[in-house]
Amino acid sequence: MTNSIPTLQYSTISAGDEAPVVSHLLTRTDLVKYAGASGDFNPMHTDEVAAKEAALPSVFGHGMFSMGLLARAVTDWAGAGNLKVYGVRFTKQTWPGETLSTRIVVSGKEETAEGKIIIAEVTLMNQNGEVKLSGTTRVLAA
Amino acid sequence: MNLQDYIGKPTGAGTIHVERGAVSRFAHAVTDTNPVYNDLTAAQAAGFQAPPVPPTWTFSSGFLGTWPEDQPEDPTGGEGSPMMKIMRELMKKGGMVLHGEQEFRYHQRLQCGDVLHWQGKITDIYAKESKGKVMTFIVMENVFSNAAGLPVVTEIFNLIHRGG
Repeated sequence: MTNSIPTLQYSTISAGDEAPVVSHLLTRTDLVKYAGASGDFNPMHTDEVAAKEAALPSVFGHGMFSMGLLARAVTDWAGAGNLKVYGVRFTKQTWPGETLSTRIVVSGKEETAEGKIIIAEVTLMNQNGEVKLSGTTRVLAA
Repeated sequence: MNLQDYIGKPTGAGTIHVERGAVSRFAHAVTDTNPVYNDLTAAQAAGFQAPPVPPTWTFSSGFLGTWPEDQPEDPTGGEGSPMMKIMRELMKKGGMVLHGEQEFRYHQRLQCGDVLHWQGKITDIYAKESKGKVMTFIVMENVFSNAAGLPVVTEIFNLIHRGG
């Protein structure tokens, strides 16, 4: 059994606290890299010609890339291996050229049988504040 | 077949090897430069025995770590996931398929070198109207378990067909 160390201190965290923001300029290279590393080769994410033939303005980002980027902000904050739940709803597509930023806001905390849990609302949005995905996470604290 | 009749039907099953190179490349692709995902020393310093996996890794794990020689019997009997069949049928009338929601529940920590057994099933199907279009929701669950049969990660997600 591994025993990675939670990075958050339960006693000092309160509702309204925010995790550091991660911002990322989405490029076509990101989409190609994610396709290769995940196996999702849907041409709407990697083939500009096919995307335009389908009446899209360009290729668009994988929803699971966005979810992975937002997950990185969660683990940067709470430490890898400390997530108990991470769930999102996909609301808008992402497009190359957008700058995607994370927002993680603590909504509560509770002591449970599985440990001390911090609950946070998680959001990924573009530079205009358009929400791309939003959801909740529950992470372990020390 | 009535759509409701698909509830409870298996979507697939498999054995997955958590390969270190694939995990490291996946972390890089989601922009995660945390060294725990590719450097054993960093992973051990953080309390792991081997590099852990990023939170969304299992979603792609079927593609990344499936070896043909140790796969279980196909619970769909070679038919493939009934989700694909339903979506193909709906797409004959146009529209598009969207990934609506995705949730991961982590029961135990997962790290490189682990071997997982997953089983998927359809847990719900329902339709509703939105802005004059019929939206058909297929909710699925994939459970990834370890050699002892204990769940490690549960994925709950839906795909939505939005009528044209």
